Amino acid sequence: MNNIQSFFTDWSDVIIKAIIETFQMVGISLFFSILIGIPLGLLIVLTRPGQSFENKFLYQFFNLLINIVRSVPFIILLFFILPFTKLIVGTTIGVKGVIVPLVVYTAPYIARLMESALLEVDPGVVEAYTAMGIKRRQIIWHVLLREARPSIILGLTIATIGLIGATAMAGMVGAGGLGDLAYRYGHLRYEVDVMYATVFILIILVQSIQSIGNRFAAKLKKD
Amino acid sequence: MIQLQNISKEYKSKKGVVKAVDGINLSVKRGQIHGVIGYSGAGKSTLIRCVNLLERPTAGRVLIDNVDITTLPLHELRQTRQKIGMIFQHFNLLKTATVYNNIAVPLKLLGYNDAEVKSRVAKYAEIVGLTEKLDSYPNQLSGGQKQRVAIARALAQEPEILLSDEATSALDPETTEAILALLLKINRELGITILLITHEMNVIQKICDEVSVLESGKVVEFGTAIELFAKPQHPTTRKFLNTISQRNLSPSLIEQLNVSGSVIRLTFLGESTGKPLLAEVSKIYDVQPNILTANIIELKNGIVGNIVVHLHGESQLVQKALTYFTENGVAVEELGGASNE
Repeated sequence: MNNIQSFFTDWSDVIIKAIIETFQMVGISLFFSILIGIPLGLLIVLTRPGQSFENKFLYQFFNLLINIVRSVPFIILLFFILPFTKLIVGTTIGVKGVIVPLVVYTAPYIARLMESALLEVDPGVVEAYTAMGIKRRQIIWHVLLREARPSIILGLTIATIGLIGATAMAGMVGAGGLGDLAYRYGHLRYEVDVMYATVFILIILVQSIQSIGNRFAAKLKKD
Repeated sequence: MIQLQNISKEYKSKKGVVKAVDGINLSVKRGQIHGVIGYSGAGKSTLIRCVNLLERPTAGRVLIDNVDITTLPLHELRQTRQKIGMIFQHFNLLKTATVYNNIAVPLKLLGYNDAEVKSRVAKYAEIVGLTEKLDSYPNQLSGGQKQRVAIARALAQEPEILLSDEATSALDPETTEAILALLLKINRELGITILLITHEMNVIQKICDEVSVLESGKVVEFGTAIELFAKPQHPTTRKFLNTISQRNLSPSLIEQLNVSGSVIRLTFLGESTGKPLLAEVSKIYDVQPNILTANIIELKNGIVGNIVVHLHGESQLVQKALTYFTENGVAVEELGGASNE
C-alpha cells in the first residue's frame, strides 16, 4: 500500500502532465486531420471513374499523394518534413512542432478510411435520389455521408488510436506525452514502475476510445 | 406522355462496342401501364434508365410531355425528374433512416415546408398501408414492406409517371401479388402512368395495358396485353407465354395424333370464352374433340382462353368444324403436320 502511495506522490505530477500533453497532441491533430481527411476521402470517392464528379487527373493525383505519404513511417516523416513544419508553425519542437507531422501522417490515413466507408454506401440509394431530381451536393450530404456515418465513426476510432501510437514518438522533438514518459523514465532510467503505469493508462485510453466508437457506430447503424 | 424515339445506348468495353439498346421506339400513353419484358441482358434496365436520363442514350430523343429532355440543362432536368417517380428491385432506401424519414427526407431536400412534408408522409404512408410502421427502420421490415416505403417515397412527390425497375423481382409470389395490386390501385386512383420492366410474365398479365417484348436491345414485338397473349408472333414472346401456361406439346406426340384427325389450338377471346363451342362442334359435324391442354388467363383488360384439342374425325368434317370456330370468333391454329391428306 505504502509503495503505491509513494509512487503516486513521486510521479503523479509527471504522469498527469504527460496525459495532458498526449490529449493535447491527439485532440489538436485529430481535429485538423479530420478537417483535411474527410474532404480528401470524399474527393477521391467522387472523382473516381464512374462517380458523379469523375476526374481522372484529380483522382490519380490525390490517390498517389496519399500513397506516398502513407509509405513513410512516422518516425521518418517527423524529420523528413522539418522544413515544412517550420514553415507552417514557425517551430519544429514541442507540442506545436509535432502537430504538423501528426496531421500530415493522419489525414491521408483518415482519407483512406473515409474512402472505404463511403464506397460501402449502396450506389442504388444515390441513384434513387438522383432520379428524384435532388441536387448532387444534397445527395453527398444527406445520402452519402449520412449512410456512411457508422463506418466513418469506426474509421475515426481507428485513426485516433493510430494517432495515440504516433504521439509516442513525439518525444523525439520534445513534445512529451505518455509514450515519451515511458521511454525516457521507463527505458532509459530503468524506472520500470513508470513504464507499467504508462502502459496501463494507454490500455485504458485505447479501450475506452474503441468502446465509445463502437457504441456510437452501433447506435447509428440501425441494422 | 413518354415517347422514346430511336434510343440507342452503347457501352465501350474491352471487347469493343456493346449496344445495350439499339434504336428503340416506344410510347406510353397517359394513364396506361406499359410493360417491357425481356430476359436478363436484353437491355431493359438500360432502357428504363434512359427515360429519366440516369443513363444518357448515345442517340435518340426522350420526350416527356412532348419536351425532349435530353437537351434540357441540369436544373430543368431535375425539375422534370421530380415528375417521374422510380422504384427499384432492391428498394434503395436509406438504411439509417426511419420509414418516416425515408419518405420525408427527399421532400425536405426538394424544399417543401414542414407542414406539407408531414401531411404528405401521412397521406402516402396510408395509401401504401404503412401508417403503423413509420418509426421502424428498413431492416425491421419485410421485402414487401420495404417496396411499399419506396413506393410511398416516389408517390410523395406526386409524380405523373412512375418507372418500375423490376420492382417485384426480389419478392416472393404472394408479396408480388400485393405489390402489383398496389401499383394497379395507384394507376387507377391517382392516374399515374406506369412504365415497368420485368422478366415475369405474370406481372404483364396482372397489370399491363400494353407490352413491348425486348430482345438484344430491340423491341421484337409490341401490342396490347390481350393481343400478345392471344396471338403471340415472335418466338421470344411465345417462350414467355410458356412460362405461365403450357402451350407446347412435344412434336412426336402431335405427329402421332395427327394420323387420325388434327391437333389444333383454339384461342378464345372476350365473348367467345363463354360459348360451349366444342360441344356444339361435336354435335353438328360428328367430330370428337379430345382436350389435350387447356387454360384460361385473366388479363387486366380481358380474358384469353387457350385449348389444344385433338379433333378426331374425317378430314372434311374437321375442316368444316374449323371454319365454324373461326366464324364464332375463335382463332384457330393447326399444330404440327396439320391435315393428313
